[in-house]
Amino acid sequence: MSLEQFQDRNVAEQNYFHVDIPDYPTTGWGKVKRAASRTFKGELFVGLWVVFREMIKFDIHTVQYPKEKLPVGPRYRAVHEMQRLFESGTERCIGCGLCEKICISNCIRMETKLDENSRKLVTDYTINLGRCIFCGYCAEVCPELAIVHGPRYENVSDQRAHFTDFSDMLTPIDAAISGTQKEFDGFGAVTPHEDERVKTTPLAY
Amino acid sequence: MSINFTINGREVIGKKGESILEVARREGIYIPTMCYLAKTTPNASCRMCVVEVKDMDGFILSCNTPPTKGVSITTNSDDLFHERQNIMKLYNVNHPLQCGVCDKSGECDLQNKTLEFQVAQQDFATKEQKRKPKKWGVLSYDPYLCIMCEKCTAVCNQVVGSEALYIKPGGYKSEIDNHFTKCIQCGECISVCPVGAMASSDFKYTANAWELKKIPSACAHCSSVCALEYEVKEVGIGSTFKDKEIYRVTNEADHDSLCGAGRFGYDYENRVTCKDKEAFAKAIGAFESAKSIHFTSMISNEEAYILQGLKEKHGYKLINAEAKAYQNFMKAYTSVSGCTLYSATLDTIRNCDYAITLGSAVSQDNPMIRFALAQAVNNNRAYVSVMHPFEDDMIRNIVSQYVKYEVGSEEGVLALLCENFIADEHRKTFSKFLDSLDEGYICGETSVGEEEFETLNRYKNRKKAPVLILGADLFTHPEAENIARMAGLLDRYSDFDIMIIPSNTNTLGVSLICDLDDEMTAPSLGYNAPANFVLSALGDGDLDMPAMNQQEGTLTSIDKEVVPLNAGLPYHGYELSDIANVLGLTCKHLIDFTCKLPTAKGYSSVAFDDLDNCYLNDGTQVRGYKLDNPKLKASESPSEIADIREFNGSVIYNCNPISQFNRFTDKAHQIIDKAILIGSQQFADAAKIKSGEQVTFSVDGQTITRKFKLSSKLKGTVALNPDFDMFEKSAAYRYTQVKIERV
Repeated sequence: MSLEQFQDRNVAEQNYFHVDIPDYPTTGWGKVKRAASRTFKGELFVGLWVVFREMIKFDIHTVQYPKEKLPVGPRYRAVHEMQRLFESGTERCIGCGLCEKICISNCIRMETKLDENSRKLVTDYTINLGRCIFCGYCAEVCPELAIVHGPRYENVSDQRAHFTDFSDMLTPIDAAISGTQKEFDGFGAVTPHEDERVKTTPLAY
Repeated sequence: MSINFTINGREVIGKKGESILEVARREGIYIPTMCYLAKTTPNASCRMCVVEVKDMDGFILSCNTPPTKGVSITTNSDDLFHERQNIMKLYNVNHPLQCGVCDKSGECDLQNKTLEFQVAQQDFATKEQKRKPKKWGVLSYDPYLCIMCEKCTAVCNQVVGSEALYIKPGGYKSEIDNHFTKCIQCGECISVCPVGAMASSDFKYTANAWELKKIPSACAHCSSVCALEYEVKEVGIGSTFKDKEIYRVTNEADHDSLCGAGRFGYDYENRVTCKDKEAFAKAIGAFESAKSIHFTSMISNEEAYILQGLKEKHGYKLINAEAKAYQNFMKAYTSVSGCTLYSATLDTIRNCDYAITLGSAVSQDNPMIRFALAQAVNNNRAYVSVMHPFEDDMIRNIVSQYVKYEVGSEEGVLALLCENFIADEHRKTFSKFLDSLDEGYICGETSVGEEEFETLNRYKNRKKAPVLILGADLFTHPEAENIARMAGLLDRYSDFDIMIIPSNTNTLGVSLICDLDDEMTAPSLGYNAPANFVLSALGDGDLDMPAMNQQEGTLTSIDKEVVPLNAGLPYHGYELSDIANVLGLTCKHLIDFTCKLPTAKGYSSVAFDDLDNCYLNDGTQVRGYKLDNPKLKASESPSEIADIREFNGSVIYNCNPISQFNRFTDKAHQIIDKAILIGSQQFADAAKIKSGEQVTFSVDGQTITRKFKLSSKLKGTVALNPDFDMFEKSAAYRYTQVKIERV
């Protein structure tokens, strides 16, 4: 399914149709008839035949997890990632604290200070994944698209309060500089028509 | 005189001297402002407070216009909205749009008004100037964020009186600059800045305002006991204990002030992780065997009540030399004045038009006295005469006349004040005392000339509200009793209001609640004071006690008010109430004693939870309750003054640096003044020492070693020796003649 098709919410013009399912029997005799037909119709053998047929075809659709993984959609919300700016590789996070504020399970804590260039610097940042409910508010509120939800859904830990650190979430610097960092197009990301929505402020003098 | 007029159709009554804005604020009617600060005179630069007057063309400024009878004022209309919107557009010219990383984090007047007046887009811009962010000690200044509202310069000039901050003019290039040598690092400018331009260097960018929980409490460093709010948040990532931390201190800056100690000296808490049962058992043992309890006045009224209760139950002697001196002074004062308490408050000083201070290092001893004097000078053109053996350079902008007297001659100076200012109709009653004064001898010995008193007298003409402020030099003076009686005389028989500055945080409370003794008998027990067994809130004693920012309780302030103190931080160890419980004074919490404070001494039986702590719309502070000050029968009269002792050679004066009061302020990481001996060139020459040398001398039987530092601001042979790092304040006279030796 293409993205355009996916985003098109007009049900009437697409190939939707009603599935013809007969009503459930309501009378006692009707229920007896349904039970009898289910018992003697041999549907069980239909199922067994399908399994057998697929088995001898060696065209198995089961994903061989964890050897292989299904691709997840861009809107999937798993463990957070911290993005960098392309080319320069500077951290995108400006330390505004909005993610910390909006977090409804109170699992984000950041520490900031004034750096030598009189800018706000994030010195420490953690997310308690034991508390995180992966609601995506942090990614949505982030004004810099710095904190995003990545596709990594496997977070096993030997304790409930499994923390993740800023450095663990941050894109490796070489990935940012070489341009292999994947731009986030999920929850809270910039929409394709964003340019039309931005109100320009005249700064010409 | 009252003025009836209407605002938005509502009948209001204005008092004489009030502006339209003040009446509106008092009545709870909103008029937007950007530059207005209630505690200073309006500088009328923002023009946001414009209002319409019926049958008058154009707008008028409500902040500096008094109402006239019968006028009808409108504070809201389409024209006014448009006018204010335009002002906000101009304020926003080139203002950085980085609110997300601004230190103000939303507590911003500019942001509020921009949203209020719906400035959705910017139509103007100007060429950006190259500016440099600056750092002046505890404060940092970002000129890009500055909107030139001039609030900071207004407080620095009118409230603090140091005139350190000033405007470097230059049209759009103008910015704020600082005469750093005059800056006393009080942080008043930080508290009034409506945007993030003036910020605390330490706090800047460490936390967003919304993360901090505000706990209203009181500052416990000096007797002014100013209202403040501790802003608290969990300690940082990676800490091993889960606890809270004070990130900064704020206050109601529109109406009230704080000095540097209050604003920056907050992190003196005693971190204790659990109850130390062993130490507690030892403490109980020590209490059972102890004969006397030695303590300082940095304790709450409730703790003082417990100590007094223990004295009554177990016969301990209570030793607190500094409070004892104050208690004796007040007793002698009462015997003549007929009042248990002095008559002035900080508000009296703020509203006075003539003030004399005697025996107090005004800048250092109690910053709020200095602030109040600066406000009096600014608001009422008050005449301020500072009587002290050396000139205090830091308050040069406030003082009209320095009167220098010889060290040790305070009694003589006060006698001459009596001679000059006792009302004529009462002179007969005290003719014996007044006739005994030999003016020639006193003038000679004090080296205060008669012409100086003539000047004092001349300026006092037509002044309506004179105040006499007496400081801590007098309580420990050898002739303190007679000095106190003379102070009582002036209180009763002249038009002066008298302020007797309590020398430590709760000296007034302790002197009222406790029966103090003179002699210490071993074995002794100390509460923040040296003894055989020490309970310490600094964490260096035998049993830990909570510091003042971890306690609930009340303090008795310089304004003779009982004000509540809330715990900014939790405390997990034992408190004095736990000890009291074992020793037979039962209570669940310390604050159960608040309503039991002695009513005979002026306290009321009000429970802690019923004490108010808020401000009214017009800026009136409602905090706790005022002590009762009953009139008593006055019987005594001052006696003849004693011979004045001479202090020759090197004299040192116990005086702390500004904002440095005790070991608790010393513990606070932002107050960095070191304990060094500061003296003039003349002092150095006489003592044959050089700047930077280690010297040793002896004060009140204690040998002290200090580094000596030369100061160009001091003159004469008196050097300043800080005592904030001492275990307890010395009870001896503040001046000591010493022999200085190089180490």
